[in-house]
Amino acid sequence: MKQTVYLMAINEALEEEIKRDEKVFIIGENVQQGTFGVTSGLVQKFGTERVMDTPLAETAVAGAAIGAAMAGFRPVADMMFADFIYIAGDEIMLKAAKWHFMHGGKVNVPVVIMAAMGGGMKIGAEHSMCPEALIMHTPGLKLAVPSTPYDAKGLLKTAIRDNNPVIFFYNKGLLGLPGEIPEEEYLIPFGQADIKREGSDVTVVAISRMVHMALEVAEKLKDKVSVEVVDPRTLEPLDIDTIVESVKKTGRVVIVDEDNRRCGVTAEISAQIFETAFDYLDAPVQRVAAADMPIAAGFLEDYVLPQPKDIEDAIERVMA
Amino acid sequence: MKLEKDQLVKFYSLMVRTRKLDNLMIEALNSGRMAGFYHAGPGEEAVGIGACTFNMRDDDYLYPHHRSHAIGFTLARGISPKGWVCRHFDKNPGEVEGPTAEERGIFGISGTIGGGFPLSLGWGITAKKNGKNQAVLSFFGDGASGRGTLHESMNMAAIWKLPIVWICENNQFGQFMPIKDAFAREDIADIAAGYNMPSAVVDGQDVLAVHEAVEVAVQKARAGDGPSLIECKTYRMRGHAEGVPDVDHVDPRSEKDKEAWRKRDPIVLFKENLIKQRILTAEEVSKIDKEADDEVAELDKYQQECPVMVPSDASILDVFLYAE
Amino acid sequence: MKEITYVQAIAEALAEELERDEKVFCIGEDIQTGTFGATAGLVKKFGPDRIMDTPISETAIAGAAVGSAMTGYRPVADFMFADFMYIAFDEILCKAAKWRFMHEGTQQIPVVFMAAMGGYLGLGAEHSQSPVSYYMHTPGIKVVVPSTPYDAKGLMKSAIRDNNAVVYLYHKALLGSTGEIPEEEYLVPLGQADIKREGKDVTLVATGMQVQFALNIAEQMKDKVSIEIIDPRSLEPLDIDTIVKSVEKTGRAVVVDEDTSRCGAACEISMQIVEKAFDYLDAPVQRVAAKNYPIPPGAMEKFVLPQPQDIIDAVEAVMG
Repeated sequence: MKQTVYLMAINEALEEEIKRDEKVFIIGENVQQGTFGVTSGLVQKFGTERVMDTPLAETAVAGAAIGAAMAGFRPVADMMFADFIYIAGDEIMLKAAKWHFMHGGKVNVPVVIMAAMGGGMKIGAEHSMCPEALIMHTPGLKLAVPSTPYDAKGLLKTAIRDNNPVIFFYNKGLLGLPGEIPEEEYLIPFGQADIKREGSDVTVVAISRMVHMALEVAEKLKDKVSVEVVDPRTLEPLDIDTIVESVKKTGRVVIVDEDNRRCGVTAEISAQIFETAFDYLDAPVQRVAAADMPIAAGFLEDYVLPQPKDIEDAIERVMA
Repeated sequence: MKLEKDQLVKFYSLMVRTRKLDNLMIEALNSGRMAGFYHAGPGEEAVGIGACTFNMRDDDYLYPHHRSHAIGFTLARGISPKGWVCRHFDKNPGEVEGPTAEERGIFGISGTIGGGFPLSLGWGITAKKNGKNQAVLSFFGDGASGRGTLHESMNMAAIWKLPIVWICENNQFGQFMPIKDAFAREDIADIAAGYNMPSAVVDGQDVLAVHEAVEVAVQKARAGDGPSLIECKTYRMRGHAEGVPDVDHVDPRSEKDKEAWRKRDPIVLFKENLIKQRILTAEEVSKIDKEADDEVAELDKYQQECPVMVPSDASILDVFLYAE
Repeated sequence: MKEITYVQAIAEALAEELERDEKVFCIGEDIQTGTFGATAGLVKKFGPDRIMDTPISETAIAGAAVGSAMTGYRPVADFMFADFMYIAFDEILCKAAKWRFMHEGTQQIPVVFMAAMGGYLGLGAEHSQSPVSYYMHTPGIKVVVPSTPYDAKGLMKSAIRDNNAVVYLYHKALLGSTGEIPEEEYLVPLGQADIKREGKDVTLVATGMQVQFALNIAEQMKDKVSIEIIDPRSLEPLDIDTIVKSVEKTGRAVVVDEDTSRCGAACEISMQIVEKAFDYLDAPVQRVAAKNYPIPPGAMEKFVLPQPQDIIDAVEAVMG
């Protein structure tokens, strides 16, 4: 094992895949320099043809990557902020998501759309979003949301090798997070949740940066309540089985996600738990998510995004 | 490159077959034999056929457009029309001989106008990376000139010198919107200057003129000299789609204009030209017309005999949803 | 009272509001003729400056409407098909939805985004969607989904007078459906559900076209089960109180929505019922929605979109 940080794990995954498969290339705004560092240093190794800087043109960056994927390449389009994917709504949610389906399975679209999501940096409504539900709601798109350096590297390598469009949202608030990864190559299959902490009283399903908030709360409450933290790692496909197994053991669930609550990831996972494990529940599922308002800038952000206290309160409610 | 006699005859034959298939769809939809949308394009055959038939290699990429549901392009690329006909009647054609659309670099038509620009840009990147001198022919209507995707895609294609030939089939109308009210200049081709890209305006009723202009642009593209923009002036003879009002904003479209353009029907013009130049006799032309009629009747009969395309269960949807 | 069609009711609402307030105008592609008839005839009365035909430029139509709304007008932007609004997601979901919030309430964005949604016409993946969830998920934007001529007119008038961004999605398959409306002027407020049929055994929540299915089914099953049909009419604001009150009476709920199931409107409404009426529920809430696939064209559509039989099955499931 070796020590690394989250952003370097992403960088390593890209480097390994570009080296392994000549069909892989990166395209996006400022990817040669790398706004968040995840693509930094690659142009020096692989040249400008495989690490392509584009003008400011999110629609065309996404669309071009999707087109190149249809025609045999495996592009990774870097949209910089996850908030910018809205600009390419047609390309990502209609073209990438649906064209394989619309053409009777004859057109493959092996593209990765990657972007940095998440708050905590207090930079306001159009640079802090976690638009996971937008993607999860759209059939045909896979969605990876890594919470650790280990998951980030393994999931990105799998994303690049997947023959379908994958949205890979890494979290801005985790860029410098340290963690261990194997020296040798490894992959993490999609649709396989990871139990980040074992426990027996309550299941906390948490996503991306919220995993760390949940772990922090679990540690704090450990003398009173034994918290199991489950990280789905991919939201589509979603490993509902591992979540339900945990719920059968604990009988109590809290779901934590940084995207807005209404029609969000927490709503869907809760509904699936109700549908598949209703009889095991000792208390209604609690969902903790961003309040249903845009993400405020500055210190007001804390009033919108989920805070450790919200998780604590939710655990208390299910334990009551 | 001067075209041989058999090539000229092929142009004529393709345009006639396209027209007759178009007519089949109009008849079938209006008589209730077929359901759904149909966007007919009689009078615009010369553009797609002139551009694609002899200028494209098998491994080139093509983004067609929705007019005549791309049947002219399908035929020009040597793809059997059986699948195309059956799909419109919700019939399963089974295994059809010949290349598939995907094998001829056609991946579909966007349901949103202007969605084709960024995808074509992607195929341009692919072509450049492949290093095999492939070209991309990307068609759009005059209406798509309103989309921001045009700017983003043309700009990048130009700065990266991608082998894309952008071809505007200017038939003068978006659904109900005349292009004179939708674009600030008379020629859409003028935007090319902003991207430092060569452009040409050609008579879209003249299949040879289209062929020649596109030939030059494709050669440039293959030589690594970057994209071009060709605007083909033509005219939409019918409504945007069958059953949709055929209006200029709200008023009926000018019959006088239609009549003037009808006199410049690309099939009639080319036929007269072939006869005048003694390439074909009137009898030979009639024979080609008759063959096209027979072929279309045969296709209609074929689709009637094919089974209805309804899978017995929904499991096929999973095959469609994700690739292996 | 007078008899009118659904599409005429929309046109009448637009005509009355254009007449009433000179700040109201319509902008969109081919609206002078009107692709679905909702704006047909208006240009004759109000002229091309107030019924503005545009080039095919969804992004700019949405953006221009938001801009003019910020500066004192009350535009109604028409997108023809709801599917085309994806092209303007940045303008709709980021600008219209968030800018008032981002600018500390100093702006007012009284814009209506209208479009025809819905399937059952066999038009395929890019012309059949009912994308309500994206809007419901995005804080700062209201969503209206009328099911009758009465609601269509009254809600449109309220949408235009609302000082916030409202997405108004009318259903393509209901255009020619008829109903009665008052001769005199009336408004239907946003956030007020309507009980379309009273009943005591099961609460069936449905919107748009699904209301018609629900009414037929309730009639068909009336000897076996008494179904109460609630049409929220607007999904944001959502009148959860009326729904919860009904569930407190019936103890059973089925939620029907035409949009994709995952992270959809049915999912959110079910969750809110569980959260607010858990102790009253005699059976788990059932959701009926489009399956998690793009919508196939033609005859295969029925495998994906909710069918009357799915609603019947769900009613039977909650009745046990």
